[in-house]
Amino acid sequence: MQKHTLSLGPLAIALLIPNAVFAGDIVAKSIAADLSKADPTASYWANVAGEQVSLMAQPMVAPRPKTTMTPFVTVQAVHDGHWLAFRLRWKDTEKSEAGKLGETSDALAIQFPINESETPPPIFMGTKGNPVHIFHWRAQYQRDAERGKPTMRDLYPNMMIDMYPMEYSDYGNMKKPGDEQREKFSPGRAEGNPQAYEKSGVDEIYAEGFSTSSVQEGGGSHARGVWQNGEWTLVITRELKREGGSVCPVGRKTFAAFAVWQGGSSEVGSRKSVTMQWSTVQIEATKEAKR
Amino acid sequence: MAKVKNWHLQREMDYPYEGARPKKQWAIIFDLNKCIACQTCTLACKTTWTSGKGQEYMLWNNVETKPYGSYPLAWDLNVLEKLGRQDWAKNGKYLGKTIFEAAEPTEKAVHFAPQDNDWMYPNVGEDDCAGGPAGEGGFSMSSLPHDKWFFYLPRTCAHCTYPACLAACPRKAIYKREEDGIVLIDQSRCKGYGECVRACPYKKSMYNPHTRTSEKCVGCYPAVEQGIQPQCVVNCIGKIRVMGFINPPWSMREDNPVDYLVHKKGIALPYYPQLGLEPNIYYIPPIHADRAYLRQMFGPLVDGAIERYQKLQSDPQTAGLLTLIGSTDRIMHRFKVADSTATGFDDKGQEIVSVPVTEPVIERRAWDEQLSVVRNNTP
Repeated sequence: MQKHTLSLGPLAIALLIPNAVFAGDIVAKSIAADLSKADPTASYWANVAGEQVSLMAQPMVAPRPKTTMTPFVTVQAVHDGHWLAFRLRWKDTEKSEAGKLGETSDALAIQFPINESETPPPIFMGTKGNPVHIFHWRAQYQRDAERGKPTMRDLYPNMMIDMYPMEYSDYGNMKKPGDEQREKFSPGRAEGNPQAYEKSGVDEIYAEGFSTSSVQEGGGSHARGVWQNGEWTLVITRELKREGGSVCPVGRKTFAAFAVWQGGSSEVGSRKSVTMQWSTVQIEATKEAKR
Repeated sequence: MAKVKNWHLQREMDYPYEGARPKKQWAIIFDLNKCIACQTCTLACKTTWTSGKGQEYMLWNNVETKPYGSYPLAWDLNVLEKLGRQDWAKNGKYLGKTIFEAAEPTEKAVHFAPQDNDWMYPNVGEDDCAGGPAGEGGFSMSSLPHDKWFFYLPRTCAHCTYPACLAACPRKAIYKREEDGIVLIDQSRCKGYGECVRACPYKKSMYNPHTRTSEKCVGCYPAVEQGIQPQCVVNCIGKIRVMGFINPPWSMREDNPVDYLVHKKGIALPYYPQLGLEPNIYYIPPIHADRAYLRQMFGPLVDGAIERYQKLQSDPQTAGLLTLIGSTDRIMHRFKVADSTATGFDDKGQEIVSVPVTEPVIERRAWDEQLSVVRNNTP
């Protein structure tokens, strides 16, 4: 069938790219600065070379985009012996924070291998036994961090609603219900789905292949993006070492891969632009070791 | 893609996953000749399941007036237009493509993505008639006499045998239960990508902006697990619907109420079967609506179904079953009609309800002397 041939095309291309072929070197420069907070406008970025990394429309699984919305992202990296910060710039003609029905958010993800090895796992979100550690920033999550998670009234100011269950202006003789009782009426929250709660800006995720990603609690990473003149400038900062997660050893190299979503073009989930090869990230040796 | 057997189409079709029929399949039959769009089903569902934040607009069960009503806006026109020609052979075999077969390689299914404006008019087109005034062409909605026809279409999730929502979810967060065929979105794993909202041609997956996950009709599974029919069914004041378990035609049981109406009598049909999902809500088509419209909605078997329905007066077996519908909140697994009495049984063969096939007519005097009141005889 013609459709089968077409859908196998990108798979065949992907299989032909051995994992040992890399997209280029990113050097994480050792600097003396506090990188625990993400700062896209800090002066030290001016002295760090940017590596242009190519992306293409995710080719492996449907649903996927027909065209590459984000052809490349410019990557800079620095570390202070404890924190590793990436500054990422890409063109996006409109800022999309999502929220309402049918809207999707601008987003970017960086992926690292979890196992320390000369050969990284399959680039498409790892594989069973060879997991990846993903830092997933969304403009929508950043909005939560900056202005709080929007209420339904924020999203739809003219909305009419009589009342929500367990939320009354006058409880009378009734004992005021706790959050747990109220959240029974919000299935995603009742199930403890991290998606349903206010976000800090960036999610840390472990995955062992497509459709296996799970959000991890307690990551110390931060992100801050600024959209200006049709371009996002985003900094994601992470600890060099996360227990149970990925480790970026100082003085040695690791690998990173990237994905970008353009919310204004309805990109979400598997509809994204991705790097087809791992980039190496050389973590420059620290003169004054802080660890 | 795998080849699966879709008996609605009388042929095999392509589907992203291997076919695996559940042990039992949840199904509802609606008699559209009896629906009055009172929306009691809609409210029963709403108050049970979707009163929370982010669910304000959600109607897992809705009733729309056909041909002009639709929720979300133009869900049917949009997907049918995108699918292209849909030809049937006279014997009921589908000759066109399903939404899975017609999908581009980048997509799982032909679809349209509703925007929030599309969800803002839940009862658009209510009671609007079509077909022009009797004896004339044209269109008159606001003048008398009314146009020729309309009918009400109550809709829930069809808990499809081949769900498009499940096929499209990149998280594999949607599953079909083996025990009853109910299709559920795992609320702990959903990331709210909205692929199910896009892919479901009937638009019965809905995004919750508060929890940032997608939700859908759960088939009232907590009730079904206890042998009770869903809220929309047991609250139907017109007694137009019945929930039960359907078998595919090759293993149908004549004493199963759903199998009897769908397979044995052939009076209840799936809607838009050509989309290829093998949906498990079945409709007894309205006898007075435009046939061309009904053929595009129910396929080529609709004429025969209406003809057989109109002969039911002389068919005590079917008449008895239709009387049982709405007479119990329990799920009927078997039924029997004998001695002018229709009886329904549960899964253990225990009798759960028994009704006369024809209600006895009792005439009373207009003046009740005992209570000194006037009585009306209401036929």
